[in-house]
Order: sequence, then C-alpha cells, then structure tokens
Amino acid sequence: MKPLTFTLRETPPERLDLSPLTPQALAGLSAKEIGQIRLGMSKRGLTVGDLFRVSGSDAKNVVFEGGSSRFDGMGTGMTEGSIRVAGDVGAQAGRKMRGGQLLVEGSAGPHAGSCMRGGRLEILGDAGDHLGGPLAGELAGMNGGVLIVRGSAGAYAADRMRRGVAAVLKGCGDYAGARMIAGTLVVTGGVGRLPGYLMRRGSILLDRMPEELSPSFVECGAPDSVFAAVFDRYLVAEGILRRSLLGAAPGKFGGDNAVAGTGEILFRR
Amino acid sequence: MLTRIAGGEIVDPVNGRVGKGDLWIEDETIVAAPSGRQPDVTLDAAGCIVMAGAIDIHSHIGGGNVNTARLLLPEQHKAHAPRPAGTPLSNVGWTTFDTGRLYAQMGFTTVVEPAMSPGAALHTHLELADIPIIDKATLAILGNDDFLLSMVRDKASPVMIEDYVAWTVASSRALGVKVINAGAAAAFKDNVRSFSFDDVVPFYGTSSRSIVKTLQAAVGALGIPHPLHVHCNNLGIPGAPDTAAETMAAAEGLPLHLAHLQFYGYGAEGKRGFSSEAARLAALVNSTPEITIDVGQVMFGQTVTISSDVLRQFSARGTANPRKSVIYDGDADGGGIVPHNYRDDYYGSLQWAIGLELFLLIEDPWRVFFTTDHPNGAPFTTYPEIFELLMSREARAKAMEGLSKRALGLSTLPDLTREYTFEEIAIMTRAAPAKLLGLKDRGHLGAGALADVAVYRKGNDIAQMFRSAALVLKNGELVVEDGIAKNYRWGKTLRLKPTPDKAMVKRLEAYHQERYGLSLNWFDFPDSAIPREQPFGEVSCNA
Repeated sequence: MKPLTFTLRETPPERLDLSPLTPQALAGLSAKEIGQIRLGMSKRGLTVGDLFRVSGSDAKNVVFEGGSSRFDGMGTGMTEGSIRVAGDVGAQAGRKMRGGQLLVEGSAGPHAGSCMRGGRLEILGDAGDHLGGPLAGELAGMNGGVLIVRGSAGAYAADRMRRGVAAVLKGCGDYAGARMIAGTLVVTGGVGRLPGYLMRRGSILLDRMPEELSPSFVECGAPDSVFAAVFDRYLVAEGILRRSLLGAAPGKFGGDNAVAGTGEILFRR
Repeated sequence: MLTRIAGGEIVDPVNGRVGKGDLWIEDETIVAAPSGRQPDVTLDAAGCIVMAGAIDIHSHIGGGNVNTARLLLPEQHKAHAPRPAGTPLSNVGWTTFDTGRLYAQMGFTTVVEPAMSPGAALHTHLELADIPIIDKATLAILGNDDFLLSMVRDKASPVMIEDYVAWTVASSRALGVKVINAGAAAAFKDNVRSFSFDDVVPFYGTSSRSIVKTLQAAVGALGIPHPLHVHCNNLGIPGAPDTAAETMAAAEGLPLHLAHLQFYGYGAEGKRGFSSEAARLAALVNSTPEITIDVGQVMFGQTVTISSDVLRQFSARGTANPRKSVIYDGDADGGGIVPHNYRDDYYGSLQWAIGLELFLLIEDPWRVFFTTDHPNGAPFTTYPEIFELLMSREARAKAMEGLSKRALGLSTLPDLTREYTFEEIAIMTRAAPAKLLGLKDRGHLGAGALADVAVYRKGNDIAQMFRSAALVLKNGELVVEDGIAKNYRWGKTLRLKPTPDKAMVKRLEAYHQERYGLSLNWFDFPDSAIPREQPFGEVSCNA
C-alpha cells in the first residue's frame, strides 16, 4: 500500500489546524471523508480538498509533500504510525503526541513537541521557542518520548520538562532547560544565557562549558559518572549523535539553588 | 411605553398576589392595570410563572481576586480554541460579558460582589461596569486593616469608628460592609496559623469578637440597611459549628448576616472526623431571629476558590487541584486563589448534603439566602440544578443515589421531605434579598416597583425552567427571550452615599501621607473614572 500522501497545491492563505490529520484519526476514512475535513482557522472553512491533492491509502504512513510555517498542530496527540512532512511546519507540531513517529524535514515553529508523552519527533531544520514546553497555565512540559532537533532551537528549550529526552544539535537560545522538573536535555553547539534557570531536577548535557550560568548554580568539579558513560552510548546507539558527547569525567554544575534544586549540568571538559 | 405581560401565573408574596393575571409596566416601572388604555407591547406569559428579577447577595464576580484567578488559570481562556471540558469553570464564561449574559438568562437582575477590598475599589467598579444587563453592588471589606484595628486598640469613640466606616463605604462606593475572618489576616502577618472568635490579634490586642461587635455597631448606627456581613473564623474546619454558634450568640439581638454557613457545618464525628452539624446550626438560626445566613452550596466538579481569608487559603493550598495557587499577604486582608475539584467522595458528598440540609431545615425563607458563594462552592451556572434539588424530593433522592452512603448516613438529608414552593423561592431569591440589602424598589411586583421581571415557562424539568427564562425584563426593557440574551443594556452599580466627616478625612489624609507617602486622593476616585453614563445608582441609608 502506498502512503496516504497530501500534496500541497499552493501556499495556504491562512493558518491551518492540522490536528485532525493523524494516522489514528484518518484510519478507515474514505477519500471523500478525508477531503471534507476542515483545516482552516478562519471563517472561510477551508477543507483538505481545498488545500491538498490526496493520494495513496495507507493511513498508518502519512506523508505531506510540501509544508508551510502555517501548518499548525501537525501530529497533535498522535499515538501510532508515522507522519513525514517534506517541508516546514508551524506552531505546536507533535503537541501531546503519545506514540508513533513524526519527521519534519524542514523547520518547526514555537512549542514543537509541547507536552509530548511518547513517540519520536525529529526535526531536520530548526525549531522555535519553547521546544517541548507547556502552553500558558499548564504545569509541565515534555513528559516522555524522544525529541530531536538537528538544527537549532529558540529560547526556553525543554521548558518545564518532566520526562524523556530532548536533543538540539546546533545550539539553542537563552534559558535552555528553564524550570526543568526532570528528564534530559542534550545541546551541542552552545547554549545562550542562563541554562537550567530555576531547574528543580533533571540533567542538561552540553558539549562545552556554559558561558553564563545563574549564580545560584554550584560548581561540582568532575565527579565520576556512570550515567555519563551510559548516556553517551545511548545517544550514539539511538542515532542522535555520531560520537560520544561527554567523554570520561565530564564537568558538573549543580542547581538551581534558587529553588533548592538538585538538577545537574554536565559538560565535556 | 406601556407593556403588558399577559396571562402568566404571578408569584409576588410581598404584595400577596399569587395566581393568574396580567402585569403592567410603564417605561421602567410596574404600574397598576390602567383602565381604558391599550398596551404598546403585549408579551404572552401563558403557562409561565412571573416573578420579580432575582437578586444574588453573595457572588464573586469582579475585583482583584477574581482577576488573579483568571491569571492563575489561563488555560481557561485559550484564544480560538474550544474550552477544554473539565477544567476549572469550564461551564462558566470567565469574562465580565458572560457573567452578565448568563445571570440574565437565569432571570437574575441584581448581583452583589461581596468582597471588595477598599484599596481595589476602582478596579472592581471598572470591572463591574463592564458586566452587561444586570445591576451590581459591592460590600467593602473592613476588619483587618491597620487603621480600624488601631482605633479599636486605642479605644476610639464609636463616633470616630462610624466616621471611618462611612468614609470607606462612601469612597469605595459600597452597599454595605463585610468582615472576613476578623483579625485573622492581621494575625497571619505575625505567623498565626489558626484563629478563633476570642483569639487576640498580636500587636493590636483586640479579639475577633470585639472587631465584629465594633463593626456591627457602626453599621447599625450609620443606618446601613444591610447588616454586617460576617465571614466567620475557622471556615471549613471540623468544629467550625462552635465558632458559628459563638458568632450568632454575639449578635445580641442586633442584625447580623453570616455568609456561606455550609462551610461552617462540619462536625468532627465519625471515623474520618468529618460529619454534619447542619441540624444544630439550622436550629440555632431558627431560634435566633436577628440572624440571616446564606448557604454557599457545594456542587460537584471543578472550580476555583477565591477568598480574602488569607489564613484559610494558605492552609488549603496543599489541596490545590490543579496544583497551583496564589497566596498574597497584602495590605489588610490579602487573599488566596486555590483551584479545587469537589468530588462525590465521602467529604464532597457530606459538604453537598450539609448545604441542602441548611436550605431545608431553616424554616424562614426570609432568613436563608440562595448562594454557592460563586465560585467557591460551585459556579453560579449550577443554580438551576440547585433550584431543582430544593423543589423536588425525587430529584434529591436521585442525586443521592450516586453519593457516599456513609456520608449521607451522617446527615439528616435522606429523611427531609420538604419541597420549596414557588412562593418560597420568590421570597428567598427576590423579596428577602431586596429587604436585606435595603433595595426598596425591587424584589416584588407591586405598583411603583422597578420593572425587573423574570418569566419562567412551567415544565417538568425544573432545572431547565430556571436555566433559560422565557422572558426577562430589566428596567422595563426586554433583555432575554427564550433563554437567549437579546439586549445588552448597561446596568448600574448600587451604592450608599454617606457624607464623610471632614475631621476624619483630614485624619485619613495625614495617615496615608505618613504610611504610604501618598495623598488620600490615591485611594479615592471620581465617578468620571468609570466610563459609563451614570455608573452608580444611589440607595438611601435608614434614618
């Protein structure tokens, strides 16, 4: 069976809510039913048929040929199957996803992987602010799964993260891992100001010493760490990095003591 | 314009008018049936109950704490997204606009915000002015403020205290005075974490009792129609009935209103140390004629508790659901916002039952008032369901089926057979509130009354009947038809206007200069600050 493919006809004239197009929601729908799903966010009432040419029938494998920064809510709440987007996506890609795989070959907007609980979200380009972070009023951000950004990420990456692994390979903005509750954030390529700001627990793993830390972090020397060795092997085995990140005896900062936190920032010395 | 509401069943206990008939309205006023004149508009009310517009005496609809609750729970109003079910207040619009619309659709035409911090008066009135359709009013909070407590400590003359209360009511544009856990917020600042009626506030050396008595006397002497509105100490604690009983006894023959009594109905019996003492409290209310109470009924589901009882909210913050809260130890009362989910477990069932017991065991509908302490016990959108529970024994039996048997076994509710009549409902939600607040122009349908009228289509589903009124008129204007608000007029905020004493103003000027380095003008505002034509309606004090 060929993947269910949505080929974008032209640049969408308004922001779209693509959350109805997940493998579990599309399963068992006829071509006609799929064509009638409403995606537009304005009163115009744009449907799938207005925007895409639809081909293929395997709803477990969904492909978007062409993307746009107006593609909001891609893969929201997906639980199974896979979605591949040959292009960019907008805000909240993979929000609350619980399983399956979402691959974005272009770049993603803010709140990519927001509150995701499982599955694998991979972005080959860049991601916006609040990677994996909660929306206003929510108490926790990323809560499980694996989130990989091959490019860079904006500010507040892994904000209020609680579980899972997030990796950003070409650096991220200020406040990386802010308010982390637990979980692991990996950043290669440098972080901006104050990584780990107000973190309670969790680990932030860096390929170099952070330049500007909150004064409420404490330098802890270079303690022996079994975790560092185990996690280095995991990152390579999972295909996230090509070679080990931390190496033997990485440096460590503990904090954030402003919130009596017991988190750690480990970095290659 | 002459309007006739034709053929409805009129329920107007104040004027002894019960039965089929027409109601005539000329412009803003109800008039006697005019002879030889044809109405300009005839509204058909056949098969309907016709009552005065309802009045809610205790509902937190505006002001600093309400706004803080909005800020704490931004997931409530995500733009352009459907409101997620089961989040706090998901069934209530969270905006001022929806507050007016939803109240009007249930036939409510006047609502009192019972806890306005005088320092937040401008904010509160700006917000109330933004609530459409209905009239509003506020009660000003006193009793934890340094100026009053210092006067009580220094044994200031009653006249001086009256002058201060008069200035506060006048400058904050209030309709009455409320005291919240008297003295406890002041004591909280000295790390006191539990506070009863005869406990003494550190530094000021004055007890909760003496603060309540001082304010009760001042309110009476000033001729403020609404008796002192008391939020007693020890809210929500097993054993609180003792505190409520002490407070009632302290009324000593003079009027006193106790707010949300349900939250004081918890005994310490049973395996869990949590039982109903509603019967005891109801008996006390029945035998103490100077006391009025409102219930503060609990209904199940998610809500958020909003209170200036900072001590109580501080101790409740561990139960916050979702797990976030705001506590602020501000000037005078401070306050706390703690989201809460009332479940139909043992504790929730008992709280629900205690409220209904109070409704049903207090005999005089003129002295028990219909509230949920919105949103503390439940959002005001649950009112229709509560009317049904009060008016139908069967509805109560059905509701009890799914609840904790053990909890209901410790309450008298399963044995109560009383059913409220339409007349009793009309007294409890119309006539009595108007009398309690001193609003002589409403609460009844006699000639000369303000034409606030609610018309409900009779049916078997009582909740549906009260949820969407067939017709509602506010000041003679048709505002709701078939449960849908049609006419978004602007109501007024009702206030008293006692003349402040000049010497007291001078003293307060000096006090504010010394304490805050600010002129007293910063704590007052001109009417023109409210962007409505005539934002206020004046209510007169008793002679």
